[in-house]
Formats: sequence, structure tokens, C-alpha cells
Amino acid sequence: MSELHRTIVITGVGVVSPYGTGLARLQEGMLSGRCCLTATTDLYPGFVGTAAQVEGFTLETGGRSLYSRTDRLAEAAARDAVAGMDRTDAAFRESGIVMASTVGGLSEIDPTIAQGPAAWYRRNGLERAASYPVARVADSVGEDLGICGPRCTVSVACASGAMAIALAANMLLDGVAPMILAGGSDALCPFTLSGFNSLQALDAEACRPFDQSRRGLNLGEGAAVLVMETLDSAMARGAEVLAVLRGWAMTNDASHPTAPHKEGIGLAECIRLAMEMASVGVDEIGYVNAHGTGTPLNDIAETHAYELAFRERSSPIPVSSTKSYFGHCLGAAGALEAAITIMSIRCGALLPTLRLADPIASTGVDWLRGEVRRQALPMAMSVSAGFGGSNAALIFGRDGSRP
Amino acid sequence: MRESLVSIAGLGSVSPYGPIAGLIPQRAISPVAITAWATEGLRRAFLVEPFQPAKIVPGVKTRRLDRLSAWALVASSLAIRDAGIDLSQVDRSRVAVFFSTGFGCVELTESFFRSAAANGWGGTDPITFPETLANSPASHVALFHGLRGPNITIGSKRFGGESALIQCASLLRHGQADLAIVLSGDTITQAVYEWYEASGLLSSACYNEEPWGDGCGFVPSEGVAAVVLERADSRGARTYGHLREGRWTAGGHSLEVVHTMLNGAIPDLILCAGNGGPCTPSPAAALAREVGGQDAVIIPPDAVAAGMTDTGALLHLIVGLSNGPKSGLALLLGTSGGTSHDHGFAALLLELP
Repeated sequence: MSELHRTIVITGVGVVSPYGTGLARLQEGMLSGRCCLTATTDLYPGFVGTAAQVEGFTLETGGRSLYSRTDRLAEAAARDAVAGMDRTDAAFRESGIVMASTVGGLSEIDPTIAQGPAAWYRRNGLERAASYPVARVADSVGEDLGICGPRCTVSVACASGAMAIALAANMLLDGVAPMILAGGSDALCPFTLSGFNSLQALDAEACRPFDQSRRGLNLGEGAAVLVMETLDSAMARGAEVLAVLRGWAMTNDASHPTAPHKEGIGLAECIRLAMEMASVGVDEIGYVNAHGTGTPLNDIAETHAYELAFRERSSPIPVSSTKSYFGHCLGAAGALEAAITIMSIRCGALLPTLRLADPIASTGVDWLRGEVRRQALPMAMSVSAGFGGSNAALIFGRDGSRP
Repeated sequence: MRESLVSIAGLGSVSPYGPIAGLIPQRAISPVAITAWATEGLRRAFLVEPFQPAKIVPGVKTRRLDRLSAWALVASSLAIRDAGIDLSQVDRSRVAVFFSTGFGCVELTESFFRSAAANGWGGTDPITFPETLANSPASHVALFHGLRGPNITIGSKRFGGESALIQCASLLRHGQADLAIVLSGDTITQAVYEWYEASGLLSSACYNEEPWGDGCGFVPSEGVAAVVLERADSRGARTYGHLREGRWTAGGHSLEVVHTMLNGAIPDLILCAGNGGPCTPSPAAALAREVGGQDAVIIPPDAVAAGMTDTGALLHLIVGLSNGPKSGLALLLGTSGGTSHDHGFAALLLELP
């Protein structure tokens, strides 16, 4: 296999976020430091908290009615990612789809289904329930774009989006499809809000990742889809290369059903493996887009992971959590943060964590806060973790950094 | 995808056939009446008979788990035992878990909905919520066995099992793990069963004691099947076969793709992984006849595995290997409707020892 075949590149990025549709809106909003988290009480009766919604979102679906909000967000992001591409091309039709979601169609189902499913189906229609399986998210994207290659949806809690990108990269190396649309999508819904609320994991106010006074996370919603292909495929069709996926890795803590390993050992190993695949040293990573949920347990474990993984660096590793801008988008988070990492590389901007006044003490981490730091950024990493102990790390580089 | 280095080292399953390590002894079973919820008349399915996991896997604690997670623990343990692997002698940071499921932890999702219906969204159960996530069974497998490699859960309509096998083999081939446990499974709940029923997908055998009625529709089934994959020759251990190549797509010209995979060879054994079968004629069986001609042994979809609509492939594989020739070239074929020349399909090519 040649170097061109082995090099995985990103040739499209589609985003639906609380800033709107498109990477340009996300970039404009985040670089201006605008926070989309707002106090809200209307997400379910009795809910008082803070979240980030995609306001006024609509999608023309050609009369199809069976798609959930998660599916629609995914479709919109995918359409954005492939805008300008020739959809009649045979290679496009044979593309693969690897999406990610934790919510899937849960947004369409209400608690009364448990009191009598058959009656619920009669009242609400079978199509609403048909969107429940997470596989539906990849299918909806494929059906919307007329793509019929291999499809699946990853559902590994909050690491889902990053893992979808990692699995897509493996599939491209295997040559199972000429191109793969990979990403994640999740809608805000009472099920997950209620669940995190019951765990007392939500901060009622805007979250403060990595701050000593952090109290929890905020939920958001959105979707991101990357167009991934090998470098030779991109060159053959004259596509602009937006970034190179230099390395990826996945690990599991195997230490607790929900909490991360206290010392961040599993995540540190994941980071090390991704750097090993990318054949890069610790000083070559210029920025880490952290998982950074804002929960007490995650952020301290993650800090330990960075201290361990980057302990040989000549200077502290710059880290920020962009969940401080529009919350935790669960299965979409890893894909959205991959898109943000690519954006950071392309525009040479290291985004700060918002509201980070009193960071966790660490000699190994350079907490980004205050103003956007402008500097050349040849390579950066996006890190995700989730319930169940799963970790994922992705390393992106500028076009031309290899070969 | 070339997968010549990946070996099927162990099999385990918790299914209506029972909890079994290795191949499944050939025997016909009938659907049983559903009693877990009140039904309007007789409703039947292939169900896993309740059992005590700790009697099969000493030390396993499943009291707080849903059935899917408990079965995943048992099936994975049986497959590891069948492979003759002592995990204490293995670098467990190099062991992956790859799980496919159609409905995930739907029992607990329904339970969470019930708590919301009873107490409002503000009074839901915090213990249940994290366990509703689809990746909980794979996480419990990692936690129980101490497996720190990639831990992945996917859903893929009709081809969850095939997709998991193909992608997990890819992890091994790319050196992202040395050993892997692939699992695939689902549970039947009232909401799932009644959705099938309302959609008109069920066989008449679900409603009466007769064997198979008009042959259309399927009888829902449940369980978890597990396959241990390892890089071939890593231990010189017994193998059920080597995965040579695999493809799955949502559409396209299946016959052309399969012929390309076979590269002129004729398979000795074709296992049909009909999902939603046993509907006659099965699209997978029709494709199998086109591929295998007169010489191949064609094993029709197993009714129990077919009832696990998205996730039956691993059970199909185990049942097929149990009942077919034990050597030669084998093809696992699954299809998902459409025309005979353009439809979703999955194909795995295996070299049997």
C-alpha cells in the first residue's frame, strides 16, 4: 500500500450547531467568544437549567416523515459536508457512512409508551418508533443522499463521534469504500436531560470545564459530518484537502461502569497510541481539544491523563474545552470537536475555555483562557471519553504536513 | 478487505438454544408462549430460558444488570473458555470488545420511561439511566474481564453482526488489538414485540402452535452470540476458520461483489443469514444458489438466528458451522430485500481448517 493510500484526509466538513448550519457560522461564533448556553425551563415540565439548542432548525425532507430530530440534524450536517460534490458520481454513491449517536430517536418517544406500546403505536404511528434504533441515523443520511455503501452507527456514549471517525479511517485503509461520511448527531431530549439531572451531573448555570469550582455539564445538540477519503482519492478528483487525520486510537479504562479512571491511565494510553500511530512526538502536538465536560470527576481525571501522556514535553500542553461554548452534544460531541480542531488548525487559532477563572492546578497543562491565542498550528488532537470507560483520540494535521 | 490473518478461535452463545460454549448441537426448537407481559391471546417467540449466570461463569455478578448485559458477560466468558484462553496470561490492553445491537438496552430504556411516567421527568431513576446506554453490555464485558483495548458498540440495520465481525477483524489487521471478542445480540421486550406485530412482520407461528404457517414473516428471537477473534498463528491454537474477506453495503450489485471476493473459487459451504426469515424464497438463499451452483452445501437461515433481525449473523455463523462441512471455503451471506441485483447485503468469506 502506497503512502497516498495510507494517508487519510478530510475533504469536507459539515456542521449543524447552536450557531447555525455550516462551519463558517461555528467559526465566527466561537472566535468571537459567543456562548450559546442559555438558561431554560421549557425542555420538560419542572426542568430548570442551562442548555444549548439549535434554534429554528428546519430541514426539507421531501415529504418523509419518519426521521427524528437526531436524524434530521445528521442529514443537514451531511448535506453541508458534501455541498458542491457531484452526487451522481458512482464513487459518491458507493460511499460508506459511519455516524454516531446516543440519543437516536429517543427524542420522538414519550414515557407513555411504557404503559402500553401497542396503543402508543396506534396513537403516534409506527414511524416515530422506527427511528429508535441508532442504526437509523446512518440510514437516514444514506437515504437522503442516495449513498448505498457500508453503513453503521456507533453508540459508545460520549466517545461515539470520535470513534465513528476512527472506524471510518480503518474502513478506508481496508478499501471497503472510496469515501466515507463520518460524524455524529444528537438532539436534546427529555430522556437524556432527565437522566443526567437524576445523576446530579448538570450544572444549572453555564458550565465551567477545568475550573476548580466546576459543578457539572450542560447538554447541547448538533451534528457534524466529515468527508473522509484517502489522499490518492482526493488528488484524483481534485478535492481540496482540509486536514490530514494523522493518528487515531481507542482504549477502555475497564475500571468503573460510569466514572473515568481516577488517574486517567486509559485516556493517557489512548493519547500515546494515537501519537504512536501518527509517528509524532509529544512536542509536535500544538493543542488538545479536550473532552472537558465540567464534571468534577471527568476533568480531574483528564488533567491527570494529559500530565501523564505529555510528561516528556518541553512545555505544558495547551488544552481547552469547547463544551464551554455550546455544551455537551453527547454522541455528536467527538465529531463536532473534530470539526473545531480542524478549524483551529486551518485558521491558526487556539480557542480558550470560557469562564475558566480558577483552573485545576497543573504544571503539565497550559490552560487556554481569556483571549483566542493566534499561532500557527500544524497539528492538534481531539480527545473524547464516555460512560463505560471508553476513550478515543484523534490527531489532525495541516494539509501537506505528510507526505 | 483482506483478512487472512484473523482466526475464529472461540464461540459462545446465550440463546434460545441455551448458554453454550462452542458449536451448538443440532436440535430443532419451537417458539414458546410469552408470559412476561399480558398478551391478547397466544403470542410466541424464541426466548432465552432464565438461568443463573454464576452457575456457568463463577464469580460473575449480574443481579443489577439487564438481561442483555448479563448474557454478554456469559457469552463472552463461554467464547473465551472455548478458545482455551487464559486471560491472566494475556496483555489485556490489547484485547478489544466489539458489540453490535439493534435495540440496545431496551429493557432498561422502557424501565426508565416507566419511572418517568410514574414520577415525571424530574423523578427518574439515576441507577438505571447510565445502563440504558447501548454500550453498557460491552462496557460490562470489559470491566469483568479487565479488557482495556478498543471497546466499540454499533448498530447496523440488518447487518450488525456481519459489520461487527468485519470491523473487528480490521482492528486486528491494523494492529489496534491482538485479540478481540465480537458480540451481537438483542432482547425481546413488549415494546419491541408489539412494534413487529403492529408492523405486520410476524409469522403466523407467533399466533398458534403450528410449526411455520405460511412461511412468511419471522418469529422474534433474543440472545447474545460471541466470537473470539485473534491474529492467526498467534498461539498455534485450534481454529474454526480464518476470516479472509468481508463486505457489507446498503445497496449495490451483490453478485458481482461476491464473485470478485471469490476470485473464481466456488465455496463449499454457504451459510444464509436471513434476517426476518424464514420467508420463502429467502433473498439470501437465492443469491447463494447463484453463487454456489449445484456443488455448494447451502444452509438456509436458522429460524432462531433470523428472529434476531439486525444481530443474528453471529448465531447464524455458529449454527452454520455446527451443521455444515468443517473444511473448505465458506461464505456467510445476508441480504436485506430489494431487487435481486441491487440490494443491501453482507458477505464474509471464511477458510475452514
